[in-house]
Amino acid sequence: MIEPELVAVFVGSSIRLAAPLLLAATGELVSERAGVLNMSVEGMMLTGAFAGAVGSWASGSPLVGLGFGVLCVLPVAWLQAFLSITLRANQIVTGIGINILVLGATTLGYRALFGSRSRAEIPGLDKWAPPGLADIPVLGEHVFHQTWLLYLAVLLVIGVAWVMRSTSIGLALHAAGTAPQAAANSGIKVRRIRYGAVLFTGFMSALAGCFLSIGDIHTFTEGMTGGAGYLAIAAVIFGNWRLGRTLLACGLFGAATALQFQLPAMGVQVPNALLIMLPYVLALLAVGGLVGRQVAPAALTQPYTGH
Amino acid sequence: MRAGTDSTVHGGAAAAGGPAPLLRLEGLGKRFGALQALADVSLELHPGEIHCLLGENGAGKSTLCNLIFGVHSPDAGSMALNGAPYTPHSPSDALALGIAMVHQHFSLVPDMTVVDNMLLGQTRGVLDRRAWAAKLDAMRERFGLALDPHARIQDLSVGERQRVEIVKCLVREPKLLVLDEPTAVLLPEEIEALLAVCQRVAAQGCGVVLVTHKLAEIRLVARRATVLRGGRVVARSKAPAQEIDTLVRAMIQRDLQAPASAATLQRSAAPGPDALSAREMALQADGLTVRDADGVLRLDKFTLMVAPGEIVAVAGVEGNGQSELGAVLSGMLKPTEGRFHIFGEEMTGKSPRTMTAAGCGVVPEDRHALACVTGMNVAENMMLDRLGSFRRRGLLDRQALNRTVRELMQRFDVRAASPDAAFGGLSGGNQQKAVLARELSRDPLRFLLAAQPTRGLDVGAVEAIYGHIRAAAARGVGVLLISSELEELLAVADRIVVLYRGRLMGTCPADPAERARIGAWMAGHEAAAPQHQVTQ
Amino acid sequence: MSTAFSSTPHSFWRSLLPGPALGMSVAAVAIALLIGAILVALMGVPVGAAIAAFAEGAWGSPYALSASINRALVLMLVGLGFVLAERANLTNVGGEGQIAVGGIAATAFALWPPVAGLPLGMAFVFPMLGACLAGALWGGIAGVLKVKAGTNEVIATLLLSFIAVWMVYGSVQSEQLLRRPMTTSATLPESLEIPLATQLPLLFGDVSMPLHAGLPIGVVLALVVAVVLGFTVLGLRLRATGLNPRAARRAGMAVDRLTVGVLCAAGALGGLAGACMLQGEQYSLKAGFSSGYGFDGLVVGLLARGSVPGVVAGSLLFGFLRSGGINMEMVASVPTALVVVIQGLIIVILAGAALAIQRMETRR
Repeated sequence: MIEPELVAVFVGSSIRLAAPLLLAATGELVSERAGVLNMSVEGMMLTGAFAGAVGSWASGSPLVGLGFGVLCVLPVAWLQAFLSITLRANQIVTGIGINILVLGATTLGYRALFGSRSRAEIPGLDKWAPPGLADIPVLGEHVFHQTWLLYLAVLLVIGVAWVMRSTSIGLALHAAGTAPQAAANSGIKVRRIRYGAVLFTGFMSALAGCFLSIGDIHTFTEGMTGGAGYLAIAAVIFGNWRLGRTLLACGLFGAATALQFQLPAMGVQVPNALLIMLPYVLALLAVGGLVGRQVAPAALTQPYTGH
Repeated sequence: MRAGTDSTVHGGAAAAGGPAPLLRLEGLGKRFGALQALADVSLELHPGEIHCLLGENGAGKSTLCNLIFGVHSPDAGSMALNGAPYTPHSPSDALALGIAMVHQHFSLVPDMTVVDNMLLGQTRGVLDRRAWAAKLDAMRERFGLALDPHARIQDLSVGERQRVEIVKCLVREPKLLVLDEPTAVLLPEEIEALLAVCQRVAAQGCGVVLVTHKLAEIRLVARRATVLRGGRVVARSKAPAQEIDTLVRAMIQRDLQAPASAATLQRSAAPGPDALSAREMALQADGLTVRDADGVLRLDKFTLMVAPGEIVAVAGVEGNGQSELGAVLSGMLKPTEGRFHIFGEEMTGKSPRTMTAAGCGVVPEDRHALACVTGMNVAENMMLDRLGSFRRRGLLDRQALNRTVRELMQRFDVRAASPDAAFGGLSGGNQQKAVLARELSRDPLRFLLAAQPTRGLDVGAVEAIYGHIRAAAARGVGVLLISSELEELLAVADRIVVLYRGRLMGTCPADPAERARIGAWMAGHEAAAPQHQVTQ
Repeated sequence: MSTAFSSTPHSFWRSLLPGPALGMSVAAVAIALLIGAILVALMGVPVGAAIAAFAEGAWGSPYALSASINRALVLMLVGLGFVLAERANLTNVGGEGQIAVGGIAATAFALWPPVAGLPLGMAFVFPMLGACLAGALWGGIAGVLKVKAGTNEVIATLLLSFIAVWMVYGSVQSEQLLRRPMTTSATLPESLEIPLATQLPLLFGDVSMPLHAGLPIGVVLALVVAVVLGFTVLGLRLRATGLNPRAARRAGMAVDRLTVGVLCAAGALGGLAGACMLQGEQYSLKAGFSSGYGFDGLVVGLLARGSVPGVVAGSLLFGFLRSGGINMEMVASVPTALVVVIQGLIIVILAGAALAIQRMETRR
């Protein structure tokens, strides 16, 4: 007999845990559709989390923190773009390199600013709920009362979907990742599009990171993204590079993480390790083609040698 | 339609009364690494005219087009558009100034629709697909180019894709339209249609540059012609139709051999296919059928026999099932239905290794994709399938490898600095000779499949390759040639069969007198007697 | 990612000579170290003291030197696996996970009673073999996925890595698995210490210079990999598979088997690295024991650009960095995160310079 309240809490937690993935995966999807594999999503998220936390703490306003977080990620995204697009470096190497660099830098920065005092209290983003929905008995409070950044995320995702489908930028993006030579011959500036895509990923990753630090737990811990960036990449792959399925994957992964807390609460004893592993296993199954044929953008990870 | 009746003045100043040049190229030069692709090229292109750019493969025609279109920048010389200096840094610059190019290897995004491909790079902001579908209809009226706006490129035939390419260019109302070898993949009637479109385009004031090496097209539409050889301009003409012979001589520095003279080379007296049983056939193909991933029929119940020592040629315009046939017969693709046997042994779906052991040699269509590894050296490529036989004390014996390869290189005239030279540095002709050497030196060799073996090669290399193939046939090897160069096949083969849309249309002896019949089959007409004369 | 390393012996010997690649690597390390020094100064720590602490920890005593070399050994094994797979154009980023499963297997075998009694050194060899097997399996999964489903091996090995790390965590949480019996509520989640016989014997029998038996094994393996890549038919076949799998298949090479095989081999090397960590240093399995060595080894492999001497040099460099960094934190209060930053800088600089290096090399 499962109480409705538990279900509501589960759904709410799933949404909360899926939100940063949603943001990061949407950003990464845009990049990958344009042909750039951003292994550095993890690093970008961590930068956003750290900078957002610092900005919020220093200024006392979480909004300033949000802005500062986005601002600080842009140079990181630009570095990834510069290395992979202009210098045509191996996209995987640069991604991992940036992740390592950011991990070290944010840890150093955190120690410098906060000493070994962990869990400094940071002003966080408020929660919000769409009017009316929060008043639904039992469900409303848990499911819909979320950090407002989540609702912004939903709007952004819808916006991205529309741009990809119905604007010239979306078309150019698709072409740049599938047939860059064809795109160039049509007058598209492939490099510029790819730069833009990577910067957009940075922007979304920053929001994702801020969601973690100033949205969710209102603090910063070293390496707090803990592999979420790689999960976002896995979500894009699971989603077969289509936005709808990617969002589904994010929801699934969020739910898997939520189960870690939910099952013990329901008295079900499942080894924690198994639950933590679950999203990765799901992603592996997807990648292994057990959830349908995978069709990656044809020019993904290939540097463009033209203009 | 014959070209105009101007006096035949070569080069020099523009004829009195002619339109002012749209694009003037002066002393252009371009180098790629060690290769001087173009040197001191000067040219004038006029609006409302079709200008043919001639030359054999490797003469520099494509490079010149890429310079005009802004894909590359010249190392020397200058360009002027309507009198103003013209220095495009990318195709988008060229497009912005009214220069459009239809590419040899189509530049369309395969998984997007026709409308989306047209929209690409043409609009900003929100896409108005309906308006562009309407534009497409307007194109059909104006130029006779019919297309389904919502079909995906990957579902279209080769001729249809080219139509999309052209429409993409015409929609921009260009001042100059460049077509790089557009007829290489078209049927004779499609070629006529394309040339008609070019004429309508020129009639509306646009300048047209037609890059080709096919003489029939020049005869039909060219108003002016320029010949490139080795990256330089070697001849110009203001009345190309009248000066074909001069132009040809300039292109290849010798007269084009009449097909009849090529046939003076001996053909082996091969036993006819009826004389042998199935077990003795070099190749026995029965009902080979291939359906691709989308269920489209690419090869339709292909049945053929090749006797030992016989050279059978599969003719037809590319894209009619030849690639699929080649893939099946080389062990790279399993047919949906049907089987084939080599000397009585079933080979359907067997691995390349089994086929090689049974004595099958394959010179595939796309040597870079299938026959060689460009990053390795000549010796490694030429012995790619038998590296294991060069072992000494567990390690690779490079000396033995190089020794064997050197002998082979000499026998087949593969010109390279040494067996250790990078394979990618060899010319196309030498690479093909190397691949052929590998296949023909196979022991045992009982059946050879050669798909488009002379594509992109100069005349000397072509002769050498056919010489080796004929020698192999004389030794008793059964040969199946797949090629779209009908003249070559008529000279070399014993029998010719024709593929059209995957079906075998007919078989006849390789006699120039059959040209009309073969042409009819290539165009899809089943009738044995020709309906109309087909230009070659 | 194609390697710049050609297959003729001529170019192998040439790659050992100083050239643009070596020059760039040295420059990148120098720049990264310089930036590191600046950061140290910004933290208010006297740079001289920090450097002294670093040197002390990296090579300042026989003990420190041995510890650095032991660390380098782990990195080298992972790097060798990476380079081997790279020859066939396969990017194995699962070193961390392969170490993890290697560690699990080594512990499991070492704690299994019959093993400790095996004669002739088999007591410690057996768990090592088990670790190789486990690593091979882990790499093989990615290989099979690639061959059967066309799965990108980067993603597959990466995901498997995460799974394996959490498997370690899970295996020391439960007494049914590898957790030591909980005598009190404060018993940490870790395994029992492995018996002395299963621990890797010290080469010099001296605890103040703890180089262990893994070292000669590692050196031999490095030679084997170098010979295979540069001088054997197998090396050529791997190269052909990496450069043009279709042509390789057409030439009769067993491309699928080569693909799975080379990933198994890379995994086995990673598993061995895990065994070395466990049987040579830590002696009991703890959650997170791999502590990033897999990724560091991956970086060593990436930066070596296909050359085995490059792997050796890189692993020594990063081994010293690790040891020095640990001592810097203990003595000079400089967080180890600084070393992480230096590593990241080296990677980024060298990755960015790869194009320039390639251009310079082809011009030679």
